[in-house]
Parts: sequence; C-alpha cells; structure tokens
Amino acid sequence: MTNVKVLVPTGYGLNCDHETAYAFTRAGASAQRVHINALIDGDARLEDYHILVFIGGFGWGDDHGAGVIQAVKMRTSLGERLVEFVSAGKLVLGICNGFQALVNLGLLPGFDGDYHSRSVALVGNACGNFRNQWVHLTIDPQSPCVFTRGIRRADFPVRHGEGRLYAQEAVIRRLGLNHQIVLRYALPDGSPAAGRFPHNPNGSVEDIAGICDPTGRVFGLMPHPEAFNDWSNHPDWTRERERSRRSGRPFQAGETVGVRVLRNAVDFIRSA
Amino acid sequence: MPARLEISLKEHLVDPEGEGIRKKAKAYFGIDAERIRTVSILTIDALLSADQLQAVRHEIFTNPVTQDSSYRPLPIDADWVIWVGYRPGVRDNPGATAVEAIEDLLRTRLGAGEAVYTSRRYAVSGSALSRGQAETIAGELLANDIIQQWRVYARGEWDPVDGIGIVIPKVRLDRPAAVTPVPIGSDASVRRTSAERNLALNPNDIPVIRAYFSDPRVRESRAAHGLSDPTDVELEYISQARSDHCNHNTFRGLFRYRDLADNRSEIVDNLFKTCIEAPTLELAQRKPWVVSVLWDNAGAGRLDDDTYYVITGETHNSPSNMEAYGGAITGIVGVYRDPLGTGKGSKLVMGGWGFCVGLRDYCGPLKPRLHPRRLLDGVIEGVRDGGNKSGIPTAFGQVLFHPGYMGKCLVFVTAVGIMPARIQGLPAEKKRTRPGDLVVMCGGRVGKDGIHGVTASSEVFSEHTPAGHVQIGDPYTQKKMHDFLLEARDEGLIQFITDNGGGGLSSSVGESARFSNGAEVDLARVPLKYDGLDPWEIWVSESQERMTVAIRPADADRFMALSRRHAVESTVIGRYTDSGKLHLTHAGKACAWVDMDFLESGFPQWDFDAEWIPPAQRGLNEPVLRAPSDLNRLLTDLLQRPNICSTEWITRQYDHEVQGTSVIKPLVGAERDVNSDAAVVRPVLDSRRGLAFAQALLPSYSAIDAYAMAACTIDEAVRRVLSVGGDLEHIGGVDNFCWPSIQHHPEDNPDGKFKAAQLVRACWALRDMCLGYGVPLLSGKDSMYVDGHLAGRYGETHKVSAPETLQFAAVSVIADIGRCISMDGKAPGDLVYVIGLTRNELGGSEYYAHLGYTGLNVPQVKPAEFIAAYRALARAVDSGWVASAHGVYRGGLGVHLALVAMAGNLGIRADLGKVPAAGVDRNDTLLFSESAGRFIVTVDPARRTEFDDVFRKLPCACIGELTSEMVLELGGLDGRPALSAAVSVLKAAWKKPFGDLV
Repeated sequence: MTNVKVLVPTGYGLNCDHETAYAFTRAGASAQRVHINALIDGDARLEDYHILVFIGGFGWGDDHGAGVIQAVKMRTSLGERLVEFVSAGKLVLGICNGFQALVNLGLLPGFDGDYHSRSVALVGNACGNFRNQWVHLTIDPQSPCVFTRGIRRADFPVRHGEGRLYAQEAVIRRLGLNHQIVLRYALPDGSPAAGRFPHNPNGSVEDIAGICDPTGRVFGLMPHPEAFNDWSNHPDWTRERERSRRSGRPFQAGETVGVRVLRNAVDFIRSA
Repeated sequence: MPARLEISLKEHLVDPEGEGIRKKAKAYFGIDAERIRTVSILTIDALLSADQLQAVRHEIFTNPVTQDSSYRPLPIDADWVIWVGYRPGVRDNPGATAVEAIEDLLRTRLGAGEAVYTSRRYAVSGSALSRGQAETIAGELLANDIIQQWRVYARGEWDPVDGIGIVIPKVRLDRPAAVTPVPIGSDASVRRTSAERNLALNPNDIPVIRAYFSDPRVRESRAAHGLSDPTDVELEYISQARSDHCNHNTFRGLFRYRDLADNRSEIVDNLFKTCIEAPTLELAQRKPWVVSVLWDNAGAGRLDDDTYYVITGETHNSPSNMEAYGGAITGIVGVYRDPLGTGKGSKLVMGGWGFCVGLRDYCGPLKPRLHPRRLLDGVIEGVRDGGNKSGIPTAFGQVLFHPGYMGKCLVFVTAVGIMPARIQGLPAEKKRTRPGDLVVMCGGRVGKDGIHGVTASSEVFSEHTPAGHVQIGDPYTQKKMHDFLLEARDEGLIQFITDNGGGGLSSSVGESARFSNGAEVDLARVPLKYDGLDPWEIWVSESQERMTVAIRPADADRFMALSRRHAVESTVIGRYTDSGKLHLTHAGKACAWVDMDFLESGFPQWDFDAEWIPPAQRGLNEPVLRAPSDLNRLLTDLLQRPNICSTEWITRQYDHEVQGTSVIKPLVGAERDVNSDAAVVRPVLDSRRGLAFAQALLPSYSAIDAYAMAACTIDEAVRRVLSVGGDLEHIGGVDNFCWPSIQHHPEDNPDGKFKAAQLVRACWALRDMCLGYGVPLLSGKDSMYVDGHLAGRYGETHKVSAPETLQFAAVSVIADIGRCISMDGKAPGDLVYVIGLTRNELGGSEYYAHLGYTGLNVPQVKPAEFIAAYRALARAVDSGWVASAHGVYRGGLGVHLALVAMAGNLGIRADLGKVPAAGVDRNDTLLFSESAGRFIVTVDPARRTEFDDVFRKLPCACIGELTSEMVLELGGLDGRPALSAAVSVLKAAWKKPFGDLV
C-alpha cells in the first residue's frame, strides 16, 4: 500500500497544524508538519508529498486580509511548483485560513486550468464579527471533489471572521454549473440555509461553504473537518450517548465525517 | 518620499465594519449616521520606486475582486471624515506584517528607520450630523487618546487631493543614553529622588538601601568597577524587585487582626505562607499527581505518566481600565507566556477569561475614563484577538457586572499548558542556570513600553513622544516564538526559560541568575525598537512578547539557526556566572554591580491593622419580605438579570475549538446555547485523558463576609468541574485575588482596616476550603489597589472601590473523556434529582439584589459535610448512571432548573416539597436561596435503583421528572401549583438582555 505523504506547512502564526496532521494520521496517512521556511530553504521538498494542506489560522495575524500574505509568500517562494503539484494529479486542501490563501493564490476556482487568477474572495462576515459555531453542511453529490465522495451531509465547526464568499454573479453561476460548489450551509434538516443567520454563519452568497477546482483535486472550505477528528468533538455527543444507552446499543464511537473527508483524499492517492 | 495607500471595499459591497460602527453610534449615543465606510491606510515610509509601489499595491494590499485602492485619497462621498492613527511608539501589528510582506515580495530589506504605519479613515454620511456628533463617534467609539490620535473633517474641510496628508508617527528621542548616579545622603533625599523619578520605593526600604550602598566593603567592591553611589539602573532594579507586584509584600505582610465581636486579637504573620504555601505543601505530600508548585511561572500536575499540565492565572486591570482593547490583549497574550516559561517550556492548550465591569447600561453621574459598555466591548475584543490569533482555545469564562468595578475593571486571564514529563531523558519541570550559560532574549524588541505607567501618563504628549505605557499585545510575534521555543525545548537546547513580564529583564534575569548565583549582561546588546533608551529603561522595560532563555554555549549555533528558521529574533545579551553579583554594563561601562542576595536580606515586612466587624454588628439584617405570589414573573425577571442572563455573544467570538481538542464546549444543549458548568479538552490528541476547567466569581457575597465569598467561590469551582465528570481526588486550584486598598488612612481609606480583615478572612477560607476539598493551589496571583476616583456631577470626585473579589479556577483530570457529561436534560421521563441541602441562605442572593436588598444569611460551605455527596456523584457519573449534572449557583434552584430544561429543550414537572432542605418553609426561599453544595442531576428511570443506592443516607431526592411539554411546572410546599412557565418564554427572557449583540 502506498505510504501517502501529507505536507502540513506551518509557521508565521498559522495554527491547526497539530490537529490537521493528527486527523490525517487517523485517516491512514503519514503527515508531517514542516515550517514554510524549510520548504523555501529546500530542507523539505513539496514534490516529495502527495497531499498539500493549507491549514487554518491567522497566518501573519490575518492583517491585510485573511490569507493574503500567506498567498504572497507561497507565490514568491514556490510559484509554479504549486501548479505543477496540482498538474501531477496530487491533492491540495485549504481549510479556513488555507481556503483564503487558495483563493488569493488563484488555485481556486481554477476555471479552465487557470491557477493564477483571483476571481473569488472571502470577506468579512456579514454579522460583523469572528464566530465559532458548528454548522450543518450539505454536499453536492455531483461535485467532482475527491474529498467528499460518498458523503452527503456533514457537521463541522466554523471559526472565522472572514468567511463570506463573494464573487461576481457570472463566477458564481459558473461554479454552480461545474458543480464546484462542494459544500453549502444548511438547516439542521438538510434544507438550504438560504442565508439565514446563524445557520449560514457569515452571509456567504448561495450558502457556499467550500468550493473545488474543476478537477476536484483542489478543495477549499471555511469549516474545519480536522476539528472533528474524534467523536468527542461533536457538540451533540453526550446527547447521542444517552440515546444509545436508552436503546441498548453501544455508543457509536467510530470514524468521524471529518476524518472521512481526509480518508477520501488518502484513498484517492492510493488508488491513483 | 513616503507614500500613502488607501484601500477600501468596492462601493457595491456591504462594509460590515462600517455598518457595525453605524449601529453602535445609534445604540450608544442615539446618533443617526446614514452610512459609514472604512478605508485602510498604509503610510509607507521607505524608499520604494514607483514600480515597487505599484507591485505592493497590486500583489499584496489590493484584492481585485473586492477592493479598490489608490495612492491618492479614494473618492468616497462623506459628510464627515474621521481619521484615526496610532501615537508614536504604539505597537502597530499590521504595520509590522506589511513590512514583512513587502520585503518578501520585493526580495529586499527595508532600511533602518524605514517602516509602514497603518491608520484608518471613516467616511461618514449623514447631512444632519453635527461636528459634536462626529467628534463623539471619533472619541467615544473609534479612538482612545492614550494610544491614538484622530482628526475630524467636515465636508468642506476635506482636501480630495491631499486627504489626511502624510502622517508618520515615528519615535524620535534625540538624546544620548545616560546612566545617572543617585546620591544617598539622607533618607529624605532618596525619598525625593524616588518621588521625582516615580520609583515608588517604600519609605521603609530606603534605610536598607542606603545602608547597603554606604557599606565600605560594598563601596570598595563597586569602586573597582568605577561605581560609587547607586545608579538609576540599580535603584530601578531594586524598586521593581521590591514592588508589591513582584514581591507580594501585602500577602507576605503582618496583620494585626481584631474581631470586634469579641475583641479578640491575633497576629497573622504572612498570609502567603500560612494560607497558600502551607496547605499546598501539605496536600502535595498526599497527592502524588502534584508535580511542581510554588516556585515556577505556573504550577504543574500530572495528566498521565508521559505528560504534565501546567496552569496559572493573571489579571491586567489598570491597563485595561485605561485602554480596554490594548490592556486585555496584552493581558491574555502575557499570561500565555507563563506556561511557555514553565519548566523547560510548555505548549499552550487552553485559556480562560473573567471580566468584571460596571453596569453596561450605566447612566448615572459618575464619569469613568471609559464607559463600562465601551470598556467591555474593548476588553472582549482584546481577548478575542489575543486568544484567537494565538491558536489557543478560549474555552471558558464569565462576565460579572457590579457598580464597584466602575472605579477599576478587572480582567482575569487564565492559561493552561502541557509539557512532556521528560525531555531528552531529563525531567521537564526542572530547570536551572549554570555559570557559563548564555543569557538569550527571544521575541520582541525593547521600547519605552510599560515603564512606570504613572510616569508616562504624566508626560506631555508631543508628536513624537512614545505612548508606551499602555501596550498592544502582538500575538503573531508571540505565536512564532512559542512554536520556535517548543522545538528548541524538544531538542534539549533550553536549560532555563522564563518570561519577560512585570519588571522586564530586571525580573527575568534577576530571578534566573539566582540559580547560578550571578549574571553579567551588556544592555547595549539588547535589540531596541528605536534609539535613545537609557540603560535603566532597557533593563526595566515591559515590552511584550519576550522570553529570557539560558542555553549552553555549545548549543548556541543550533539555537540561533532554529530561531532564524522560525523568523524569530534571538540575541545573546550576556552570560550567567557564579560571582554572586548582578553585573550590568552598557557600552563597556559598568552600570550595576549588586550582590545577588541583597534583595533577600533585611528588608522590612509590611504591616497592617485589620478590624473585623461582623455583618450583624454592621447593621445588616434580613429584609422583611412576605412571600411573593407571582413566582412566574419573578423567575422570568431574574433570568434577565445581567449576571444571570445569556452572554453567548462573547463566547461565540472566542475560538474555543482550535487544536481540535474540544470535548465539552462552553455552550451546550440541544440548541448549543446554554452555559456549560465547565469546559473539557483532550489536550493530547491520541490520549483519552481529559482536562476539565472552570472558574467562579461571587464578589457580591463580600458585602456580608469575604470568608463566605471565598468559600462559596471555591465550592462553586469545585462543583463545576465535578459536574462535567471531574475527579474529586484530582482538583487543582488557581486563586486570583483582586482587592481594594487595605492600608488604613483616616481620610483616603477610612475603612482600610475592615478591608484588611476581609482579606485575612478570605485567605482563611482559601486555606480551609483547599484542605477541606483537598485542592492544592497550583498557582495564584494578587492584585491590590482596585480603587478608582471618578468625577461626579459637580466637579467633585468619588472613590469607587471594587468589591473584594476572588476568582478561583479549578482544573481536574478526567481519566476517560467518554465519561464526561453535560448539563442539559436529555430525555422526557428522566428523573430530576436535587443533591445537597437548601437552607435559608438568601443573604447575598440575586433575588434579594433584584429587590434592592443585601441580607445577612450568606451561604455557608461545609466541606466535611458536603464531600460525601460529591463522592457519591462522582461514583454515579463514573458508573454511567447520570444523564446530566449541573451545579446550583447564582440565582438558586429556580434559575438552574430552568437552565437544565432550556438546555434540553424539555420541560420539568417537580415538587418543591421534595427538595432536600433544612429550615426552609417558603417557596421563594427554596427557589432562590443560593446554598452551596448543591447539584441538579437527571437520571434514566432504568438506573433509579443504582442511583438511589449510591446516595443512601445523603441529602439527595428525586423531585420530579423531565417532560416533553416544555413547561417548567413546580408544585409548592403547600401542595398547590407554585410556578408554571413555558420554557421557551423563559429562554427568550434569558436571552433578551444581550440578544442583539454579536
């Protein structure tokens, strides 16, 4: 079986590195936290990995727009190697701050193989503040996204101040037609949030929570799958456990949908 | 030629920041602005070519999808323009990251003195707005003159070509660094110098200082280094080390305590030793999980064999009171350096907060520097940015409103970290410096920050005077340093580590040099933010985000390489010695030569008179109230009281799930909106161990007796961690005292003796509770002088003292997180139990306060009596028989039954006659008494026998059941219905007071 190697670049105020690496480990991969400067100095090589993760959390303090300076740093230091990484059939995941970096790099939405143009932005939440809450998500079953294969619904936490996806109408339309809108905020019953706060926590257009490129191999999302790395992360777990106890079945402490998203990526590399 | 870049959201996009300001202007001041748009301004003071300026504009600072930008003022229509920028020397975090980004993109380095300064411009539309209103928005919402400067332009005054002009808030101190000797001719002359230089030397210390520097042997030894009278560097050092903040003179003081009830007197020598150290040492003997207490920056306990956790708590009151955002962010970022400086370094895993402020809707005559509403907004945002940008979950906290905090607010911040038990085979909790080790300063640079807050605030502001006494924490710089130092630790490179907080280098080097017994430091090697600092300023500056580390010379290359890898500045500034001397030089000349043991020798103890007047003797009694008939409305109103109602808006702003460790969140229940008793995290991801954490605050009880206040606070913290599944055998405590001044003064502090007695009594309670519940104090801090003088209606000032306050934090280890429970009722038909006796203890209750009374019967804590039920609860939880558990706290049984129902989206049908009680004959007493030691627990009826069995012979009774009807329905003591309220109505009331805030 292929040893699937995941690169988790760290440093410059980024966080979520430990849990992202851990969640990938639970998904069967071998994940390494590597300082961005080690990639730049050549002590670590992007090309040695199968999956590149842009992680969450306040790189460069999120000053001058979330994910902006990270994108500059990556573009000036890795440049075309990022595009070659994608072209080589490998996977790129951007979570929260990482998603913001991906759209600023232009790796998303990646229309027609253009991995440089910025046409999507993540701007300040409509509620005007940073927000930490769990959201209900629905997944487009026709999306090419390899991370969400076989998954229809998911609950993850959001923790951001700039998560409102914005783009010109034509871009949004195109994202929809291409089934690049992977994740949408939903009501508890799975129906569309239709912009309703707090189910749609940031006022994102069309309830968009995550998008992929046309190949489905570059995926960015505001919610944090790695923060649902264990059943005990879910806000309802104590309630679920009581339901199990009453019905006499053992409490289902199996793989979380957060880890499953990552396992899809690992499986994709293995089967490639 | 400096360039000024303006950036704004495209015209058609909603500007949430501007919108937020518009709403606040309306809500706070009734000012109707039609529209407010924000513009970010970067003033680039660097030699960049036109091409380079365009490159940074397009590649970094402008998002083509959403933003417009220009090096000329953006043409945004406005009736008023408000510009806000920092004063010189105030930490400009975005300015610093802008420099990094520019340097990255252009592959160049900006020259010395080149910088980027950020500011903001607000385009306010509203033709009816007056200048006064625009000034109010500027001065009361957007800017604080302590750290910021602002300008207001009317439409006609705005120059569309020049805009704000070019403002460069650069620090210029055009003077050479100097060391000044201070003559010590007489006590009076030293006192004068102390006053002039704001040294705040205690008059009783001055003879000791003079004796030392007059000693012929000392003078001879100093002469060899070209020194005679003490230098300003040395006196500043002594002043810092002897301050109450660093030396805890109050807690180590001598108290002459007299009880006016029976006129008995006793001498209490050293509250720290008798009430904190002694019980903790005794408990540490009995509890093998206690790893390290009473000496390091934080205390340590055992999570499991491989991992220790560390915890500490701090306050940051005075700075927050002046500049709420800056004070609070500096506070939380600062407390996070304590675990980082504990043992050989700990990783931060959790933070907590406690805010005590005046009433948010205060509209009386007193004029605090910042209105409580504005102050609270700023404090909330400061902890938000400090915590979120540090990547540390802010997992638990509370806000408390009381008029006494108008004089000075309290900002508590708590930090929890973990470290591996061993590093490269050596115990991680142990550290020491050795002769020859290098003194390294890591992280931020040194400026005139935090040097004698008082000195700075009395200086006249000029265009280039650094406004450094209120700082703005920089979580970004610190996060980089945190990640770097933990890697250095794991490679075994760190011999000793401590943070630079109060006292700066003078404290961190002074303390770490005690291990090796000496150090020499060249102050000229300390990296500075700007030129012109005197050596004494470098030595005592409290510039943030710095750690002092001892490394072996052989490790220096590796340590520095790692530091560069992480983009962290580290500088060798000296070496540790065994000379017995602290030896400081600047530019080759000695500026301090002091015996290491001088500070431990012969300084006099502080002393206080303490007079306890029991509450009845002070005229307190129970109010004469006949039983209310409308309990529904009473309960609904109590749920809306500020210290009971929902404060979800604060919790939601705090990232409480980063690191992926969250097990029990601060908000729980079917709709995830009711406060949990405690938070639980799983700090080691591949372990099933949990850490439960909670804090409690009950300052209103101090109006009756601070002993009861402290006892109830500790009991509440203990019950909070037990409620989520904590282990009674493993609870560690952190005590944070905030007390008004206790030194008696006939005019300025006429009740000082009483406040001193309250402090003694609170410490006695601390000792008794810790021993009673077996809670060693892993850490603690004290902050005295929480008083303020507020201007009134007629130009007079009023002294406003905070109530005597103890925040107590409890931490507990949970062997298996799968056993954790939450407080929400789970299923209709579940049995509702109340554990613990309800007594007539309404004295300091919310119920009385609601009706305008303070009574006499303050709740009493009886650990020996209560603990059996706590053990039984722990057993029932461990056995899986408990579906939910919740402590009964402020507001009493009525409020907390409602919360259990609200969290479960269920109703409760119960009979008050069944509530275990002693001496209670009224429904209102049963419902709202705040007796300690109680829980509400719900149990699957199938588990009833086992559950009852565990509680046999204990005060515990089933009072009813959960229902699907969503009604709280309580039968009274007389058998008749006492209360029947729809849970949805109760919840709406509970959420209403702050429901509009986001």
